[in-house]
Amino acid sequence: MKLVDIAKVIRSKNAGPTTLTLDLLFNDEAGFKAACASKSLTADAIAKLYSQPRAKVEVLPYPPALAIKIVMPRRIVSGDPGDSDVYGAQQHGPMLAVEL
Amino acid sequence: MTTAIERIRKSVVGSDGKLAPLRVMAASGQLGYGIPDPAFNAGLERKPHLIGADMGSIDPGPYYLGAGKMAQSDTMVRVDLAKCINGARKLGVPLLIGTAGSAGAAPHLAATLDMVREIARREGLHFRLASISADMPRDVVKTAIRAKKVVPLGEIGALTEADVDLATNLVGQMGIEAFQRALNAGADVIIAGRACDSAVFAAVPSLLGYPMGPTLHMSKIIECCSLCCTPGGRDTIIGTLEGDSFTVDSMNPTRNASPMSVAAHSLYEQADPYAVREPEGTLHTKEAKYEVVDEHRTRVSGSRWEPATQLTVKIEGAMRVGERAILLAGSADPRVIANAKSITAGVEKIVRELTPPNPAKPYQIIWRVYGIDAVFPWATPPDPLPREIFFMCECIADTAEEARAVATVTKQYLLHHGFPGRLSTAGNLAFPFTPPEVAASTAYRFNVYHVMDVDSLEPLFPLHIEEV
Repeated sequence: MKLVDIAKVIRSKNAGPTTLTLDLLFNDEAGFKAACASKSLTADAIAKLYSQPRAKVEVLPYPPALAIKIVMPRRIVSGDPGDSDVYGAQQHGPMLAVEL
Repeated sequence: MTTAIERIRKSVVGSDGKLAPLRVMAASGQLGYGIPDPAFNAGLERKPHLIGADMGSIDPGPYYLGAGKMAQSDTMVRVDLAKCINGARKLGVPLLIGTAGSAGAAPHLAATLDMVREIARREGLHFRLASISADMPRDVVKTAIRAKKVVPLGEIGALTEADVDLATNLVGQMGIEAFQRALNAGADVIIAGRACDSAVFAAVPSLLGYPMGPTLHMSKIIECCSLCCTPGGRDTIIGTLEGDSFTVDSMNPTRNASPMSVAAHSLYEQADPYAVREPEGTLHTKEAKYEVVDEHRTRVSGSRWEPATQLTVKIEGAMRVGERAILLAGSADPRVIANAKSITAGVEKIVRELTPPNPAKPYQIIWRVYGIDAVFPWATPPDPLPREIFFMCECIADTAEEARAVATVTKQYLLHHGFPGRLSTAGNLAFPFTPPEVAASTAYRFNVYHVMDVDSLEPLFPLHIEEV
């Protein structure tokens, strides 16, 4: 099962200029639970996907919105020379290929 | 004459001290990008007790703070400001605007205030105008650094006194305290420098004694207007505080606030979905309950406010890096596309030989090849390769002329670069227009994004009152 098939929202955005957050929102309880239980969405797996040290990635389930929040440092401070995405709104690409 | 805050107090505080429902209208999630009329007018018809609008954010990057410029166009800011001022004056309710002019530093505040005065003159309006500045005194920040009272927010490094001097603008985020001082001074219209989004909407209810948990949580939800709805949008929204809960109600009937959409908004642009830190305390939403009122509205209860034991201010500063020029060009040649990496590396080597960097202030060349890996640093190249790619070569140099020189030399050598197997010997690039190298203004970077412990907020955010 692919993440894109059970998520209704897969988005990324800055939470301030030093932090990137990814929000995964699910259509139903079953999808949310499957995602929470999946080995593909552990902090380890996400750290690998985004080339981040494991200790810097947090995966936070948020049941009120059937959502999972992922938090990690931005690769580069927003708007620094060499940045590619000032708002951080296009950093969700790798999530689209995730198999649960 | 009674002040704006006294009028609200009279209308919502009963003789027994009980608080009637308080309607808080969020006119715009970011003033200056256009406020749709139907929802704005529907909001006014609900007779809100106050109107608030956020006007800025740190999201658009360091340029606006560093340069002291607005991200929005002056024309649209004037239109939106006039709409809000006229609406608030018609109802006789206070108007609160936070983070004036995109970044909330002195030049942004001054430009916004000029527009407010001009609108008042033009429309024949008279009111008490409060402005609150948010520029951090540099000596205060340096003293705090020496006392080890400044910590970085994320991976930006420890703040140095040199950074404090290098920042062209240095602001702090004010909280509800500053807005409340302005309200107590009888302000009708408050234009604030850099401010917490939520403070714009929370200042009035917390001054009147509405419970802080629901007040802050509501403010956090409505500051982006109808973005918390399905489908999300930018239309005016009203939050109503009642007892220990609040309801959200988009003024666009097609945008519905559902328990799920409102809860999901608590995630938006937050690192921690359950805790939102403000200068005066922290909002905890772990126990919050989201309930359906009807298909259009949602009620939220159970949020908790924890007052801070230590007052803090988030500080932001941006410094100049250099002058930026960019080269824009496309290619549809499969061999150019397949060799893009080696071509750009080869061209850069030649450019650096022909325009030697000044060792004291060397320029930077930054390549982005759209279609390959310009947006995300993919581990592997696309397979198959794209049919077209787009080159953007950026140069940041000490002077605009040097940046332009590097960009133009790059253009010529990229156009005619030879590589093994090349077929397109008349030129590797398609320019959509000329000149393809464009001056892209001064480059800045955030060199301050820290939190500072303070003993008192008031002296950092001075209030100025004038009658217009």
